[in-house]
Amino acid sequence: MITVHDIHKAYGAKAVLKGVDACFPARSLTSLIGPNGAGKTTLLLMIARLTAPGRGEVRIEGRPVAGIDIGEYARRVATLRQAPDFNLRLTVEELVAFGRFPYSRGALTREDQRVIDEAIAFLSLEPLRHAYLDELSGGQRQMAFLAMTIAQQTDYLLLDEPLNNLDIKHAVQIMRALRRLCDEQGRTVILVVHDINFAASYSDHIVAMKEGAVYCAGSVAEVITEARLGELYGLAFDITQGQRGRLCNYFNP
Amino acid sequence: MMRPQPRHAVWIVVVTLALIFVFLHSGLDFDYVIPKRIARLTAMLIGGAAIAWSSITFQTLTGNRILTPAIMGYEAVYLLWQALLILFMGSASLVLLGVNGNFVLSVLLMLGYSWGIHRWLFRDGKSNVYFLLLVGFVLTLLISTFTQFVQLKVSPGEFSILQGFSQASFNRAQPLQLLFSGLLVGAVCLLGRKTLPTLDVLSLGRDQAVSLGVDYRRNVRLHLALIAILVAVSTSLLGPTAFMGVFVANITYALARTFRHRVTLPLGGAIATGMFITAQLLVEHVFNYKTTVGILVNLVCGGYFLVLMVRTRGAP
Repeated sequence: MITVHDIHKAYGAKAVLKGVDACFPARSLTSLIGPNGAGKTTLLLMIARLTAPGRGEVRIEGRPVAGIDIGEYARRVATLRQAPDFNLRLTVEELVAFGRFPYSRGALTREDQRVIDEAIAFLSLEPLRHAYLDELSGGQRQMAFLAMTIAQQTDYLLLDEPLNNLDIKHAVQIMRALRRLCDEQGRTVILVVHDINFAASYSDHIVAMKEGAVYCAGSVAEVITEARLGELYGLAFDITQGQRGRLCNYFNP
Repeated sequence: MMRPQPRHAVWIVVVTLALIFVFLHSGLDFDYVIPKRIARLTAMLIGGAAIAWSSITFQTLTGNRILTPAIMGYEAVYLLWQALLILFMGSASLVLLGVNGNFVLSVLLMLGYSWGIHRWLFRDGKSNVYFLLLVGFVLTLLISTFTQFVQLKVSPGEFSILQGFSQASFNRAQPLQLLFSGLLVGAVCLLGRKTLPTLDVLSLGRDQAVSLGVDYRRNVRLHLALIAILVAVSTSLLGPTAFMGVFVANITYALARTFRHRVTLPLGGAIATGMFITAQLLVEHVFNYKTTVGILVNLVCGGYFLVLMVRTRGAP
């Protein structure tokens, strides 16, 4: 379980996080939702230790993360930001192999190779194994990066808007993969997601943020209600319960 | 299966060039001509390794393929120092300090400069590489302007000495300097060798590197320090090479076809050395010392780089 305690953060005079307390239960998929500028990504980056909190602390299983060696932390928490745009010429397999760096520091063992194969197979990326990243579509690239994160074999996965710029098919593939990581492998997944319907369909737990604080948090049934979402986003919501889950309609006011 | 790749051919070409350089029209004179040439060849090897290593790792740290450490102002500091020496002490400074004295002082000055700006910009835990670049660039402009100002104050004879310092040359290097530089560059390479896998991870960018457990701040500072040593040595030994590093690094990427520093760094060293030898051969045997290595290096590098770009454009 990851918990955050009284987190504050300001960029210059602008306060982005104002006393955030939240809890991300283990072995479940938690979505961070909320309007732009609510501080979701900043909070996620703090858990990832990519940004330092101004005040307060993040704890992993009760232990403050600031005291954990960064190399050890990489074996417990893996982070995926939006697939970065670098001009390296490397193949999917080479990228996934980077996921083993926290363990082997560059010299791959047979065990590493096995984990890499597994991660590639988990996302059905075998046909693209030797393809170069710059030849892939955005969705395929995102899958390749996710495979690298999976190969890191961490209990916790943090993803910052993994569905950004993806078509609906790839978005569903990514979310299903995350769900399976949670259900089949017992991993804890925390992601920032903008599509409220994906959050409603795939999460166990939702943390809704607004203006630098937690607006509400709880199970999907508790958070995905017309009243709460309406106030969170300032839009009129119409939530229908169908056979395939909840559907939030906010398209026409 | 190892297929023969362009990068293997590079080594053959460089060794061939080196042999041609040492023996062409030497009359097999092992007393004077050949030892002199071997000294120049050693300078090229040391300089080439330093330039390739510093440029490629600098581009990895900055995630940018059109930069060289020159942007940090090391060479500007070197030229200002030479200009000030001439201004205050006249051409007598050459005799007073001696070539070795000037060499050691130049190295120390550039190291001091880089230590100063790293310390200033990385104080209280900051590690913003782009800010460092910006400050380095502004300092380069400022220091260069100051150097020009000094140059206008000196006599024409002294000015021509200064001109000599602003061009890369292999004739300045003395055996003692070669030994000293060789030891320094060798030490850097040995120390840096262990960090090559980490450098590979750093090329994924800061966020991904941290997520993979790399202590970003520590590694960036370590590599900037190594770069500072290499640039200080190569500049003091050969003079400023300005943007040769851009050519060397990009030709290396094109031929290596891998991002791994284990491959790119040695290959880059070979390419830089090859460029130096080619330019020096042209100066000695074709242009008969009527042009300088610096000009030819840029011509050879730039020309080859363009050819490589045109040739690889359509190819996969």
